[in-house]
Amino acid sequence: MKLLTHNMLTSHVKGVTKGYPLLIKATEVKVNEVDFNPKFVCRMIPKLEWSALVQAADQLGHREDLPGELVPDYEKNEDFLKKVHRVLLEVEVIEGCLQCPESGREFPISRGIPNMLLNEDEA
Amino acid sequence: MEEAASQLERDHVHSVYDKIAPYFNDSRYKAWPKVRQFLLDLPPGSIVADIGCGNGKYLHINKEVFKLGCDVCRPLVDFAWSQGHEVQMCDGLRLPYRDSCFDAVLSIAVIHHFSTKERRIRAIKEMARTLRVGGRIMIYVWAMEQKRRKFEKQDIFVPWNPNPHLSSGFNRDDTKPRRRAAAQSVSEAIDNAENYRKVRSTSSVADEEDVTQAVPQQRTQRLWFFSRSLDSVFDFGSLAISWPSSRDLRHLPSATGENEGNKPNQWARGRGLIKQVSSFFSPPSVIGSEEDVFDSDTDLQKNRNNPGVSLAQECGSLALPDLISLQQENLRQSEDQSVREPRGTGRQEGTQSPEEQVEASCLRYYHVFREGELAELIEHHVEELHVTHNYFDHANWCVVAEKVQLWKI
Repeated sequence: MKLLTHNMLTSHVKGVTKGYPLLIKATEVKVNEVDFNPKFVCRMIPKLEWSALVQAADQLGHREDLPGELVPDYEKNEDFLKKVHRVLLEVEVIEGCLQCPESGREFPISRGIPNMLLNEDEA
Repeated sequence: MEEAASQLERDHVHSVYDKIAPYFNDSRYKAWPKVRQFLLDLPPGSIVADIGCGNGKYLHINKEVFKLGCDVCRPLVDFAWSQGHEVQMCDGLRLPYRDSCFDAVLSIAVIHHFSTKERRIRAIKEMARTLRVGGRIMIYVWAMEQKRRKFEKQDIFVPWNPNPHLSSGFNRDDTKPRRRAAAQSVSEAIDNAENYRKVRSTSSVADEEDVTQAVPQQRTQRLWFFSRSLDSVFDFGSLAISWPSSRDLRHLPSATGENEGNKPNQWARGRGLIKQVSSFFSPPSVIGSEEDVFDSDTDLQKNRNNPGVSLAQECGSLALPDLISLQQENLRQSEDQSVREPRGTGRQEGTQSPEEQVEASCLRYYHVFREGELAELIEHHVEELHVTHNYFDHANWCVVAEKVQLWKI
């Protein structure tokens, strides 16, 4: 699971209103090399919940010097875009779980795949 | 009704896909051209979700957009991940994505597996929830009106045909580094959409999702159906099944026309009935052939010398009830066998191949759509979506719709 994906995921347990963002508890993380496409990263940024991304990177110990808030004029800032690229697309959680911040319910991640299926009583 | 509906889907959608996933992945790959085009037309930097992505066959199209996929079937999702895609396990009725986060959503051959109208609406509404305003959704569902045959009823069970000619063409726009070697062998890449017309040797490009497509097969399939929509079955616990044989009817509980007031009873009976119905599907005998939309000659040649198969080909143009009555002859002849009919050569139960065993238990439930039904469903029940395109594509009804802003006063 990449952090770009994580940015879209939310807890959907019945009754939960504050299920986003999910907390990440990772036991295995990989960093891959992915071709850097600055335009692509640029276009992704407005679609992100920025603070959720920073928090997630932090939880994985991969935040490095990613700023807590979006820098102005980031479109031309290749340095910044590269940092975002790394965190969004290169860091990958292989094993671990995602935890609902409100209910505590844990959704396992195994072999890179988060299992967001709910039990009957939670749906 | 809800529990019965979800149990039906567990038994005749989820568990079937779990069983057939290995064959599914190996065999035929094809991206519907119009779906491919929908993806290619998306502005760069879009985020797209393929809800019910199966083995991820649409997830490689268009490098300029971010794609993610989800499905209930673990083996299929595992395969998609092995191809380098971002995928999750989830249920179409409860999507784990925040509101309005996608620029586009795909639902290709998925919602016809939901067994009630209400669940189909909920599935569409869930997808609409995750779409941003102005975002678009493309939905493909099996059509009741097929090119060479019309299904008599809308709620049907379709047996699975494992493809003995395991071919593994993948249609890819780019070579993407995979996370790991795919479990199945991937021999060649089929070049582009145009190539499927040229492929004659196998039906490797025939997508088994398409009911009119070919399966190079030893036998052809029988379609079973309910005479009422499943909505009413689950409501009233009564069921009239289009079953001509009195031998079969003897085994059914006397369900026709009764309307018990007791809901749990109805539900239990409805479920028991579904179980019994399923058990009647062996031996699955021969009925109308599934034709390859792109390449109709191939599989006729491939069929083994099986009298049942040639019977089916002759019957291809007959209406289904006639096909069923012809099948009764075969049924009566093999009355004492509790499992499948022997193929032409009189094989016994014990010598079934693994594929045959899989096939015997693999009936997928479909609600096939009438013309206009999908668009109507959206127009009347999903006000946040506005239908922009509505067309027929190779045995599917297809709708493209746009998410609109709703103003509540």
